[in-house]
Amino acid sequence: MIHVIADTAQNVDTKVEAGTLRVPAASLPDLVGWELKDEGLCRASECVPADRTSIETDDGVDLLAAAALLGRPTLVDADAGMAVVGAAQATRNQALRDKVAPNFTLPDLDGADRALSDYAGKKRLLVAFSSW
Amino acid sequence: MIAVAIDENLEAVRELAQDITYPVLMDADHLLTELYAVSNVPTVLWIDADDRIARPNANEFGTDMFVEFTGRTRAEHFDQVRAWVRTGVVPDDAATVVEDLSEDEVNARLHFRLATHARNAGDEATAAKHFDRAVALAPFDFTVSRAAMPLRGEDPFGPEFMAKLVEYQEMGAPFHGIRAERNTDA
Repeated sequence: MIHVIADTAQNVDTKVEAGTLRVPAASLPDLVGWELKDEGLCRASECVPADRTSIETDDGVDLLAAAALLGRPTLVDADAGMAVVGAAQATRNQALRDKVAPNFTLPDLDGADRALSDYAGKKRLLVAFSSW
Repeated sequence: MIAVAIDENLEAVRELAQDITYPVLMDADHLLTELYAVSNVPTVLWIDADDRIARPNANEFGTDMFVEFTGRTRAEHFDQVRAWVRTGVVPDDAATVVEDLSEDEVNARLHFRLATHARNAGDEATAAKHFDRAVALAPFDFTVSRAAMPLRGEDPFGPEFMAKLVEYQEMGAPFHGIRAERNTDA
């Protein structure tokens, strides 16, 4: 069992060996937003082509290989039983180069999820602050 | 107006957000710092109705407490915001292209995130190891190095931070976006 911090943070049944992190294929959509099909990693009508047999074995899908296909950075601390999948550089490029605001969903102070897109159609002043 | 706390201390944020009527969101995983290359707070972005970023990351303050450092008053920023809201006009610096995160800064964010989850799970040794790594990778990214301080029992307003701030300024106050010190010779 490894605690995977990706699009959601959850404990996932895993096998860690030689630079791979095998997770159940069914956990992929929650973790990275894409599912594994014969064409590759798919979301709605789009697919990132991949040879399914190269990233999936009887032990599950290699999350690290799937993240790499999606251009997302990863960090594994097998001893601590934890792994992180970061955001794709392409998503950040959308903000920095194309100047289109990537959407995000975060909880408000009462724990209710709010998305940037909840306020679409309005000019928004986004302020990042902190108590530190 | 949407405020996002790059913070995991809900109580401290609640205190800061008292009497505030616009949405205040908690970003304990520092997602925004990854999606928008935010490297310090406060960072302000102007986003148009069609989701285009009208003015990218800028280090703007809600008070004039730092005006000696920055040569920039809060009134200047507010006047620019009002003009943008009324007429869509943006200042020249809105064309600034924010520099992408370096590989080290990306990895620092992953180590920081793992450390905070380890800390929440009570695994102090793992947390300490990854906070150390994160700070070593991005010493002048305050969303990493300063944000880590209260999570490891250090004072983000204490002498360690003040020493780091001097070093940061000697480095030319590196910031992803429009720097606060834009009107000085620094």
